[in-house]
Amino acid sequence: MQYKIGDIIEIIAKGTNYIGKVMPNSTKETVFLKLKSGYNIGISKDEIKSIRLLNKAGKKDVNVQKKFEHKKGLPTIAILHTGGTLASRVDYETGAVSSRFKPEELIELFPEINEIANIKSVFISNMFSDQMVFNDYIKIAKAVLKEADSEGIKGIIIGHGTDTMHYTAAALSFMFEHIKIPVILVGSQRSSDRGSSDAPMNLICAIEFINKTSFHGIAICMHESHSDDACLILPGTKTRKIHTSRRDAFKAINDKPIARVNYKTRTVELFKKVEKEKPIHNILKPKLETKVGILKTYPNMSSSVIKAFKGYKGLVIEGTGLGHMPIAESNENKKIFNEIKKLIKSGCIVVMASQCIFGSVNMNVYSIGRDLLNLGVVPAEDMTAETAYIKLAWLLANYKRTQVKELITKNLRGEIKDRILPDEYLTTNDLDQRNA
Amino acid sequence: MDYKSINFKCGIECHQQLETHKLFCKCQSIVNDASKPDIFFERKLHISAGELGTKDIAALHEIKKGKTFFYEACSISSCLLELDQEPPREVNQDALKASLEISLLLNAKIIPNIQFMRKVVLDGSNVSGFQRTALVATDGYIETSKGKVGIDVICLEEEAAKKINEDSNSTTYRLDRLGIPLVEIATGSSIKDPDHAKEVAGIIGMILRSTGKVKRGIGSIRQDINLSIQNKPRIELKGFQDLRSIPKVIENEISRILSLKEYQSEVRRVNQDLTTTFLRPMPGSSRMYPETDHKTITITKEMLNKIKIPELLTHKAMKLEKEFKINPDLALGMVEDEDYFRLLADRFKNIQPSIIIHSIVELPKEAKSRFNYSASNDEIESILELLNENKITKDAMIKILEDKSLGKELSIKNYRPVDDSTIKEEIKNIMASNKHLSPNALMGIIMSKYKGKIDGKKTMEYIKKFIPV
Repeated sequence: MQYKIGDIIEIIAKGTNYIGKVMPNSTKETVFLKLKSGYNIGISKDEIKSIRLLNKAGKKDVNVQKKFEHKKGLPTIAILHTGGTLASRVDYETGAVSSRFKPEELIELFPEINEIANIKSVFISNMFSDQMVFNDYIKIAKAVLKEADSEGIKGIIIGHGTDTMHYTAAALSFMFEHIKIPVILVGSQRSSDRGSSDAPMNLICAIEFINKTSFHGIAICMHESHSDDACLILPGTKTRKIHTSRRDAFKAINDKPIARVNYKTRTVELFKKVEKEKPIHNILKPKLETKVGILKTYPNMSSSVIKAFKGYKGLVIEGTGLGHMPIAESNENKKIFNEIKKLIKSGCIVVMASQCIFGSVNMNVYSIGRDLLNLGVVPAEDMTAETAYIKLAWLLANYKRTQVKELITKNLRGEIKDRILPDEYLTTNDLDQRNA
Repeated sequence: MDYKSINFKCGIECHQQLETHKLFCKCQSIVNDASKPDIFFERKLHISAGELGTKDIAALHEIKKGKTFFYEACSISSCLLELDQEPPREVNQDALKASLEISLLLNAKIIPNIQFMRKVVLDGSNVSGFQRTALVATDGYIETSKGKVGIDVICLEEEAAKKINEDSNSTTYRLDRLGIPLVEIATGSSIKDPDHAKEVAGIIGMILRSTGKVKRGIGSIRQDINLSIQNKPRIELKGFQDLRSIPKVIENEISRILSLKEYQSEVRRVNQDLTTTFLRPMPGSSRMYPETDHKTITITKEMLNKIKIPELLTHKAMKLEKEFKINPDLALGMVEDEDYFRLLADRFKNIQPSIIIHSIVELPKEAKSRFNYSASNDEIESILELLNENKITKDAMIKILEDKSLGKELSIKNYRPVDDSTIKEEIKNIMASNKHLSPNALMGIIMSKYKGKIDGKKTMEYIKKFIPV
């Protein structure tokens, strides 16, 4: 019996009959049907006694009902679509999630945005952020430049998967030496097929922030807490995803958020000074060195893992504590020391960040740190390993080796701070404290 | 009323909570969590008009309200999953097995590959905006006194959060109940009359309790009744407090419908006085799409072979009935605590089994309703101990609980049985001074004097001997 996805068929199996629509997740072994009740069920093919075709699949109705209206007086915001669950729509029949990126589709998904902005939407890619490569960053950066250079764009929102959103934010931060307008990366931790999705609020707060401040530069906008009450605008080079699934997974690391956008009152509370003076031109340096890596150290490590970075131009070591790694006491550790030495001699720039996530590295406190400094390892100061990695890749592609060594410890885009304040830790803006 | 002539169509949906941890996380299923909430947050639910379509009246009803949902939870019974802050863990295998066991008891055909769905729910009672639900079996039946009644579907799903407060702008929910495994059982519409509906609900409840895997107590099982007559729009009735009220509520609802010229299909809540009030419009067919965060579950032969089908409570009760020569109602009332009953029957050999059952089933209820006193099993057992040693009369049992409720010091001599000769003497004395007393009046005088110390039945027998009727 031949049937296709979408056909309505009747199956007799196990002494009973099932009538339903053939679902796309059917396999060679199992037919999945959507029954009239809405439930999907699967029937193993070897249990099927007979199949009867009742109705051929109809044509899909893909009409978008709401038309996009250009409203006078509202600022225009460009929404760049790279992938992720921010703007996705579920097909209630198949469960398939598809991306939406045309303005009218975005407005259909988030009707409210048409009341606060005119939307220009740009499709870049539709990919999981965990699959991105440097070329994708360059593609995004060029698309950002195009919009930033065009007339009448108040700001740019980049819809992005959350897994590596902080890497992209860092990459754009370094690649844009100057940018005249705000570029806000927005993700969602709950896909927009569900009523509880964080996507609409994250998007609306990003638009409100663009509309209501004179900020220019790269930032991330995500939920502040469990609640749908406020979003944080987080600095592009000092933010990290530190939770696998929560809406408030993104936190500023060794820094304050730039601002809080209250979703109810639509007010913006700034935590940092926003430079009033904007650059005259957008300047993009869209090059990244690909022979750069990150290595997390761990107890009982083998020297062979260092060897894998032979030929690399840069390596960020995510060491322990204040910036340490196994290089003494045991024979294997001493081999690691020698491998690092060889790597540096070969011209690779080795930078030390900390797997603690919070706090600055300080390699003068213990002898191991001092030994590594003497070897030529460069401290990442209070940069996250991710930011240090992107910065190193960008520096290596744009500067000479000697300059890179000097610039890596110098603040270029807010990635290194002289002072870390007590509230620049997990406790910052903790909702539970506000509720207490 | 001739229900056939009005084309009476009726089906029941039962929702039964299972006695396991939650369905997609390892949180304990503590209903009415007594702890003070320590987690608070608020959410909005977003659904765009395009997604809604225009037909889903119930969903529109909720969206139009545009409410803020406040949630409170206790860490003891809610984790990130209840907060919709992480994806579901693997489905609770105990709950899955219980649902299969129930399906087999209901003679239903088990779905070979089960797929959990997201059923869109927009009233805030599911933090995620959907309820996870799976069709487990179809096409079953139960035997009733009026023939077979079909069991169309059996589902395994998540319980919703409990609403604790509501105003025009917001609703507050407690999350302790959210995610407790629920088995939903829906019959076909072949129930014949209001009394039959009660019988069907009773049988389904008995079958569920036979597994020993379901929660008991208030709110652990809920019945909804779907009703239509004369091919008019369907009415769904929710919130039955007691199975016994089912026939009366249905009869009242039929009278209400018959008095109306026109009405819409709607969901109505059952009131305390057994009438009903409008709750909401009838929801359109549910929007469901696959729960993509959970794999489909293949029900293997090995899995099914491992399931032991439990003996039905009615069968067990019949055995108890014969063995202890007790009446069927008592046997059915005790059968779920059979082990405990057997323990006591063995310990208190001088007491009739029916009295033991009465004292563990009815006595605590009576003490609660009359004196607002909660008697523990230990207290009941120590009273039975006294009765077993003939230190008190049967009638003294409730008197002891009454005195306990008043905080009186207990002295066994207050409940000591008065010997027969004393009672007979007393009867003679009263009769001598008052010859015209009726037996009942005489009984009243004696009982008030020796309350709790004499056996009422025996005393009446003596009185009847003295006063020939």
